Amino acid sequence: MSVNAASVAPPAATARGRRQTLWSKAAWKFRRDRAGMIGFGIVLVYLVAALGVWFGWWATGWAEVHGGKWSPVSGEYWFGTNLIGQDIYQRSIYSIATAFEVGLVVAVLSTLLGAALGSLAGFFSGRFTDEVVLWLMGVLDSIPFYLLVAAIAFALEGNAYAMHIAMISTFWITTSRLVRGEVIKLKNLEFVEAAHAIGVPEYTIIFRHIVPNTLHILLVQATITFVAAIKSEVILSFLGLGVKDGMSWGLMISESTLEVLAGFFNNFLAASVLMFGLVMAFNMFSDALQDALDPRKVS
Amino acid sequence: MELLQYTIRKLLAGIPLILGVTFVSFLLMVYFGPDQTYQLIGKNPTPEQIAEVRAQLGYDKPFVVRYADYLRELGTLDFGFSDSTGEKVSVLLGRTIPVSLALITPGFILGNLVALMLALIAAHHRSGWVDKMIMGLSVVGMSISFLIVVIAFQIVFSSSYGLGLFPVRGWNVHSPGDYFAYVAVPTMATVFVALGYNTRFYRSVIVEELTRDHVRTARAFGVPPARLLYRNVLKNCMIPIITRIVFSIPLIVISGALIIETYFGIPGVGKVTFEAITSGDQPVLKAVVGLTALLFVLAQLVTDILYRAVDPRVSLK
Amino acid sequence: MSGEPLLRVTDLVVEFSTEQGVVRAVDRVSFEVRPNETLGIVGESGCGKTVTGLAIMGLIPSPPGRIAAGSITFQGRELAGLPESEMRAIRGRDIAMVFQEPMTALNPVFTVGNQMIDVLRRYRGLTRRQARPAAIELLAKVGIPAADQRIDEYPHQLSGGMRQRVVIAMALSCDPKLIVADEPTTALDVTTQAQVLEQIVKLQQEFQMAMILVTHDLGVVAETCHRAIVMYCGRIAEKAEIEPLFAHPRHPYTVGLLGSIPRVGEGEKQDLAVIPGIVPDLLHLPPGCRFADRCSSRQARCDEALPELDGGEDSRSRVACYFPY
Repeated sequence: MSVNAASVAPPAATARGRRQTLWSKAAWKFRRDRAGMIGFGIVLVYLVAALGVWFGWWATGWAEVHGGKWSPVSGEYWFGTNLIGQDIYQRSIYSIATAFEVGLVVAVLSTLLGAALGSLAGFFSGRFTDEVVLWLMGVLDSIPFYLLVAAIAFALEGNAYAMHIAMISTFWITTSRLVRGEVIKLKNLEFVEAAHAIGVPEYTIIFRHIVPNTLHILLVQATITFVAAIKSEVILSFLGLGVKDGMSWGLMISESTLEVLAGFFNNFLAASVLMFGLVMAFNMFSDALQDALDPRKVS
Repeated sequence: MELLQYTIRKLLAGIPLILGVTFVSFLLMVYFGPDQTYQLIGKNPTPEQIAEVRAQLGYDKPFVVRYADYLRELGTLDFGFSDSTGEKVSVLLGRTIPVSLALITPGFILGNLVALMLALIAAHHRSGWVDKMIMGLSVVGMSISFLIVVIAFQIVFSSSYGLGLFPVRGWNVHSPGDYFAYVAVPTMATVFVALGYNTRFYRSVIVEELTRDHVRTARAFGVPPARLLYRNVLKNCMIPIITRIVFSIPLIVISGALIIETYFGIPGVGKVTFEAITSGDQPVLKAVVGLTALLFVLAQLVTDILYRAVDPRVSLK
Repeated sequence: MSGEPLLRVTDLVVEFSTEQGVVRAVDRVSFEVRPNETLGIVGESGCGKTVTGLAIMGLIPSPPGRIAAGSITFQGRELAGLPESEMRAIRGRDIAMVFQEPMTALNPVFTVGNQMIDVLRRYRGLTRRQARPAAIELLAKVGIPAADQRIDEYPHQLSGGMRQRVVIAMALSCDPKLIVADEPTTALDVTTQAQVLEQIVKLQQEFQMAMILVTHDLGVVAETCHRAIVMYCGRIAEKAEIEPLFAHPRHPYTVGLLGSIPRVGEGEKQDLAVIPGIVPDLLHLPPGCRFADRCSSRQARCDEALPELDGGEDSRSRVACYFPY
């Protein structure tokens, strides 16, 4: 056993060295990307707003009804009030927390799921496990997204997390495909073959040597999934399949479809602009991350 | 002959996919889906009445039998009658699918064509300000929700608060003029959203191809840049482009149409599907899901045959 | 071999900006090519020989690369800094290039004939109907059997040697005065290498062209070139006519290169000489001679300043070394 460990050390060390240079280079490159840094900064501001909501520092009165129908913008109601007299400013700020909650839960879980199934399929590529995972991806890809979400929402009988589960069950697929491809590539590299040749157990190879080398893909995919989740939430809430309790930009926009035809745009504008700001910033951040982490990317 | 054999082989290979899609969706939408018993029954029903309705709906049969029935229906394309309206499902779909196609097609074609043009322009001026501007706008396009675009365009182009050029909602088409009026705003919204994602994708495909050796050879033989892009490189890029376009067709018919049709109150297959989900209209759901799966298998077949047409290295064997 | 030079490169500097800083891939390189002459550019990979060839063609990928200084005159006309549209008129018509990778140099989705006819129509003003027999004739000339059938095949249906012949045929199609051949035979197997090389030399004489042959293979240089320059780390180490270069190599690097060619039948078996050490990183070049670290004749002076080429324009052999052999 000690012999094994000693002989594995050099390849493992090279793998780690490669990783460290990749990450430090990426960090250096990312810091020089102006659009990416701006995006990152804006995302941080949104995050602080979300934290404030979670800790109860602000936007606590988002559900209270006072103010009267469609109050104009004023010192008391910064963005006016909605159809039934709720404060649009508080509601739109509260929705930031909802967006982060949906985005984080969906991004983290679907990335984990994608990483697990993708590396499994990649490592056993060409074998039965791989066939099953590929088949599952093909099947879920072939069911129209909103149909699948609606079906899951109804199957779970209005469970508050039906939307999250539905998104995770489709968003993991892209991540999984990418990870599978990368794992197939990695597993043919010398250091993995060497570990194989001297009898390192397969799960050790997967989790010690292969999975860590797919981290950069996972990070980028997580940011892309985060954005996709926030955007999907809006449409699902509009269709009545989204956020169940609480408030979200999707619910606000859905609410506003009644108001805009009557010429009242505050609700719509508040939710749209705040959402655009976060999604745009996240997209810029995600782009810079991709540029920094993918050395082969041509731009 | 080769093509026919290939087609048959591909269709057979598509069977696991069709089985998978139908099984998953059957499980979710039919087995765990909403129960219609109490909607069809009067107040204070007797147990006999309940049992009768459930038998009528087929709820009393075991799961395997119900799934097998479904596959038989799919094989014969006979899905019976809608639970909620009593209309024959084939008639219902025959009425609504053309509406969705008429609604979606212009936006789909324009969205891809314009995006491809923008991508070519961006790639041509790679790293220049034209490229940066197009790519910047595409990120903006990607960052706006489809729903927001639809609402905003409706306000701007249709409502009395904006330009008021087009009907606000509905689908009352009796002439080409009507068609144009009703399809204009949905098309603009579709194109706007499609441009963001498509332009970015097409540009990255083209730019990647531009780094290949054969492009350098062409340049060394004095091929002008525009000709290089439009003649040489574009054909090389066709495989990812075809894949994206063909595979988005099955999804766009249902998902793409769903939001527009629901928002604008247009009686297309997307709206019908959405209503079927919320009301648990199983015959309609079964038909839509089954047909989508078939469409995917067909898309796979079509792309493979198209690959053969654009790339001589692809063989149908 | 005399007369006015066809191509004159003077103090050429090519730089690439990378994330770590600016890299000088070619550093003050000067040489000339006379009509009908073959000039070899020799060196290890990364020494700047390919970049020099690309610079002449105006094909330096930009960004990140650029010609930072120096001049390239072709028939008295300055090419460095020429607008892309004018450069395009020279490429292919006056100067043609044959690339290293025959497997990828042709566009996979068009037939050989399609790509050749394209070039012929552009340069000779032929119609599609006239261009086809001309293309077949050229393919036959470069030694492709059954050219009238091969012309309708796709590149992937041809072997590496055949593809390289196709590229050569394309290069000949416009009667260029100069061909830049970048490792034209490196990617081919050994027997094919000899055939293709022989064909190139034969065609060069027939078409009365000058040629720049970029290669790492001194054997190829000995067989085909009139003169050669040996490059190391972007600089010219030695510039000489073939006979003195091989008979009396003067730069320690050239000596090392010649020593690493296996020779058969020279008495007892000898160990193959190996140049010790590695090529320095172009980002962190020493102030003195770039070969000093690997050189057996190294002295204090070598680390102080870069040696320049000795002798005058007319000498048969010039070397950039303080202590040449």
